[in-house]
Amino acid sequence: MANQVDEPMMVDGRVDSPGGSWPDRWNHVKKMLERAGPFAHPDFEPSPETIQFMLEVCKILVIGAGGLGCELLKDLALMGFRNIHVIDMDKIDVSNLNRQFLFRPKDVGKPKAETAAEFVNTRVPGCRVTPHYAKIQDFDGEFYRQFHIIVCGLDSILARRWMNGMVLSLINYEEDGSVDQSSIIPLIDGGTEGFKGNARVILPGITACMDCTLELYPPQVTYPMCTIAHTPRLPEHCIEWVRILLWPQEKPFGDNGKPREEREDIGIDGDDPAHVKWIYDKALERAEKYGISGVTYRLTQGVVKHIIPAVASTNAVIAASCATEVFKIATSCCNPLNNYMVFNDTEGLYTYTFEAEKKEDCLACSQVPQKFTFAPSAKLKDVIQYLCDNAATQMKAPGVTAIVDGRNKTLYMQTVESIEKRTRDNLTKTLEELGLADGQELVVADSTTPQSVIFKLNLSP
Amino acid sequence: MIKLFSLKQQKKDGEVGGQKTGTKRASAAQLRITKDINELQLPKTCQTEFPDPDDLLNFKLIIMPDEGFYKGGRFVFSFKVGQGYPHEPPKVKCETMVYHPNIDLEGNVCLNILREDWKPVLTINSIIYGLQYLFLEPNPDDPLNKDAAEVLRSNRRLFEQNVSKSMRGGYVGSTYFERCLVK
Amino acid sequence: MAATGAGKTMDKEKKYDRQLRLWGDHGQAALEASRVCLVNVTATGTETLKNLILPGIGWFTIIDGGKVTGEDVGNNFFLERDSIGKSRAEVATECLLELNSDVRGDFIDENPEHLLEANPEFFRSFSCVIAAQMPERTLLSLASVLWNYGIPLLVCRSYGLIGYMRVVVKEHTVIESHPDNAHSDLRLDRPFPALAAYVDAVDMDSLSKKDHSHTPFPVILLKNLIQWRKEHEGNMPKNYKEKGVFKEMVRKGMWENEEGPGEPEENFEEAIRHTNTALVPTRIPSEIQTLFEDEGCRNLNAESSDFFVMTKALKEFAENEGKGALPVRGAIPDMFADSERYIQLQNIYRDQAKQDASVVASRVTQILSSIGRPSHCISEEAIRLFCRNAAFLRVVRTRSLEEEYNPEKACVNEMGVQLENPDSEITLYIMLRAVDKFQQQYGRYPGYYDDQVEADIPKLKACMCGLLQEWSLSPYIKDEYVHEMCRYGGSELHSVAAFMGGAAAQEVIKLVTKQFVPFNNTYIYNAMNSSSATYTL
Repeated sequence: MANQVDEPMMVDGRVDSPGGSWPDRWNHVKKMLERAGPFAHPDFEPSPETIQFMLEVCKILVIGAGGLGCELLKDLALMGFRNIHVIDMDKIDVSNLNRQFLFRPKDVGKPKAETAAEFVNTRVPGCRVTPHYAKIQDFDGEFYRQFHIIVCGLDSILARRWMNGMVLSLINYEEDGSVDQSSIIPLIDGGTEGFKGNARVILPGITACMDCTLELYPPQVTYPMCTIAHTPRLPEHCIEWVRILLWPQEKPFGDNGKPREEREDIGIDGDDPAHVKWIYDKALERAEKYGISGVTYRLTQGVVKHIIPAVASTNAVIAASCATEVFKIATSCCNPLNNYMVFNDTEGLYTYTFEAEKKEDCLACSQVPQKFTFAPSAKLKDVIQYLCDNAATQMKAPGVTAIVDGRNKTLYMQTVESIEKRTRDNLTKTLEELGLADGQELVVADSTTPQSVIFKLNLSP
Repeated sequence: MIKLFSLKQQKKDGEVGGQKTGTKRASAAQLRITKDINELQLPKTCQTEFPDPDDLLNFKLIIMPDEGFYKGGRFVFSFKVGQGYPHEPPKVKCETMVYHPNIDLEGNVCLNILREDWKPVLTINSIIYGLQYLFLEPNPDDPLNKDAAEVLRSNRRLFEQNVSKSMRGGYVGSTYFERCLVK
Repeated sequence: MAATGAGKTMDKEKKYDRQLRLWGDHGQAALEASRVCLVNVTATGTETLKNLILPGIGWFTIIDGGKVTGEDVGNNFFLERDSIGKSRAEVATECLLELNSDVRGDFIDENPEHLLEANPEFFRSFSCVIAAQMPERTLLSLASVLWNYGIPLLVCRSYGLIGYMRVVVKEHTVIESHPDNAHSDLRLDRPFPALAAYVDAVDMDSLSKKDHSHTPFPVILLKNLIQWRKEHEGNMPKNYKEKGVFKEMVRKGMWENEEGPGEPEENFEEAIRHTNTALVPTRIPSEIQTLFEDEGCRNLNAESSDFFVMTKALKEFAENEGKGALPVRGAIPDMFADSERYIQLQNIYRDQAKQDASVVASRVTQILSSIGRPSHCISEEAIRLFCRNAAFLRVVRTRSLEEEYNPEKACVNEMGVQLENPDSEITLYIMLRAVDKFQQQYGRYPGYYDDQVEADIPKLKACMCGLLQEWSLSPYIKDEYVHEMCRYGGSELHSVAAFMGGAAAQEVIKLVTKQFVPFNNTYIYNAMNSSSATYTL
């Protein structure tokens, strides 16, 4: 992914400069930045340079241009951030319009990132949001490294964990194992569901990361298979029966002319009204058979698409919290949130702020890669031998994998017979032959360690 | 409080950073599955098969019970581990058509830890033991294959006969089962 | 003057899908029938309106007599650079109308103070009025006008890293409060006849193994409970120890596999898990008891709202047919059971709920005719909804702004208690009041000008001390807070405004849909550490 070369920057404060600014524009923000404050971060120095940093240097990445993303782009642009990138892989749907306020009915079907960027760039002169109609996985560490701060407005735990893993992998460690602070990219994350939401600040390697607090994200509701199959009680059970069991059997919409066995299994498209209607009709039939009430089209759609209720107000609140944290971290004008805030406004208005704890054995962030040095001509068996003999490791039967050319590669694993056979030849290959480069990370699993360990390979002749 | 933004005056366009990581970090799912696979402790009736040894996320499990109704059979399960692992359970299907109260003819398996009772502390090994147990103790009270369950409940002998018939290859009722005996 | 959103209506069902799942079609209808007024175009104000226009309120009106300045455009997404010098109300209305073609809106380019003097009647047509960053004096007169009309007022403001909100509503009743974690209403301690008969007819010992392990847990619990009460002079298991013994008794009913101990029966485990909650005696929640004694319920007349007519009927039901309990709710949780018996049990509860609701309905009819209203002007459906939510009814009555601002009537005790924590959010409330005092005295906000920040600190401190003196509170507020307020200099940060705009919009939605529960009555948001607090002042 080629990064755009930045255009020469407009100097702020110039009257009527094209794409530039006007008098008094940043008055509100400047008061915070040009005056000392008793609650500011110890490093804070009131200065007119801070807003220049925001306007001209600071680069922010927004992940997601949906409910939170639209709000975030607006909030950041009006706080004085101009150098913003946004990634979103989705297109605009009618059901987005009740909260994703940068989109209009005429935009339905267009990529969210592009439409949102265009709107903000037009409405907020001088702001340059760069859209990426893509998946987060399409970019590598070099891309993510260019940002000062990353803000996530996502609805998927998977994507959050991926981003979390990415910023963690960008950390450099000092010789003594401590984090090189200049390699930290703060990750600010927001999430909403109905009238509930949360915002958090992650300083990768320093504070609790996404994987440390995985139990705060409940897994999707699932029902026992036998309930779905034979003892349905809820309307949801009937819908799940159609979705999981009946659909793959009947293969509707495959090719109606053909007998069932020859039909192609067209996956369920929750956005295709014909599909949802089919599921609804069959679920209703089943519900009637059992005397279950409550199967509706809306519920069917909700279950099939795993719809999470969403409303403008909660998105606004959570995105704003995140934007405030970006502002605080970028300018030091106030201490950042430490480090997790939950919000709920069903009954009254409630927030709760707490410090989520970093988990000592977190799979994602406790991994300080251990370094070891080998010559490129060393063989894999030498590495394995080292892991077993070295006083600090003393492993028994280490399995070793690595990512080579972007793909996972099992270098050797002796505990699983079928894998051992097919990786045995690697033992006598040199590290160079195996495609391992200097700085390569090796994942090593062994019964002597509670989890996989990462080793960073230092190749020196 | 750490000093984050000495970064402040730092422009971040390529010219800084210097050190290249070059490689991608393995995902949390990958780290965990590597551990799970390396530490597999298979019962003697089970084997794994990795069509691609580099891909630890997709593999097959073969169960060959040495006692119970299903003694002598060979049953293949496919495991698909997603990037959500271990937050989400792997997807497991039975690829061998089997006459079993808790496995339907499409290969869906009714095992609580595969769905509603999954927890991230469980491992691939836990699932394998769960599946193995299903062959030793089929449970007729919460069935997926209702016909098989009904027979098991009412007539264990007939159930036993039906199981052997299905494993030898043949019809049970109107359903045809492929042969799946080891020898 | 009126600008009207044009364009064809798209499928609302689809457009509003994600929110209809929260407040339903009837909530949406209430929202679409609402008319909301915003006084003052500030970032906080337009953000609030944005979050109301998107979900589809019916109509909005903006009142502002000012012209757009460069500073305004800097923090407000609904003003544009080209609009500098134009009417703030007009530009904001145009930009906001773009958001949703199903919403209509207009504006009044006039100073709200003048409008209040010249035509207070004007405010009568609104469902709710939002006042953004209003100076104290005008705010108090607006509040008093609206209080007299019985129209809810929401005051909101963003000040530096602080947000403030105040709900002013004489009376707001809520039927659907959507509690997050309500216990189910199973009545095992006082089974109604149909439930008792159903459970009595089950003979656990004669069941097949399959049926035994699929018997719904309420049946298991009730059977054990009947047995227990026989052995304990009719008493329920009372304390922790007795409940433990009771659980053991339930556990003994479990069957084992013929081949030895296999998997324990899940329905029995479920019964044990539910023991503690299911054994809580059925009683009328204290909020509802209080409601029964409420003046609105006691002094019914032709003007009484449907809510209080139904509450009165509910009270009569509880005292008579209900024998001290509310109508059966009717819904039961999912449980480990076969379809047939689960549905049977569900229907038993549902039928009882229906029956109870119809008793309440006939009481409603009687009450209506006794107060001279048409006897069927409250629908059966409304009564059923009311009965389903009988345990969760809420009435919110806030104090008026006038009371709060009158030193004689101010909630001094509450403030005093809160002040014991020097970093309590109440400090920020007091500082905001001090800022207003400063503003009245000097005609500007403390620290508004860069070169007067330092000089304003002692002046603001004096204002604060004056306030504390009026309330006879000891003047202990850290100087840091005074300094921080002067630093803000009346600035309105967009991200703080956006937070308040989201929170405020949700309160308006609660007020107009009559679902969920508004806070009572003062909310302080502290963006410095992302915390917040609610006070009743």
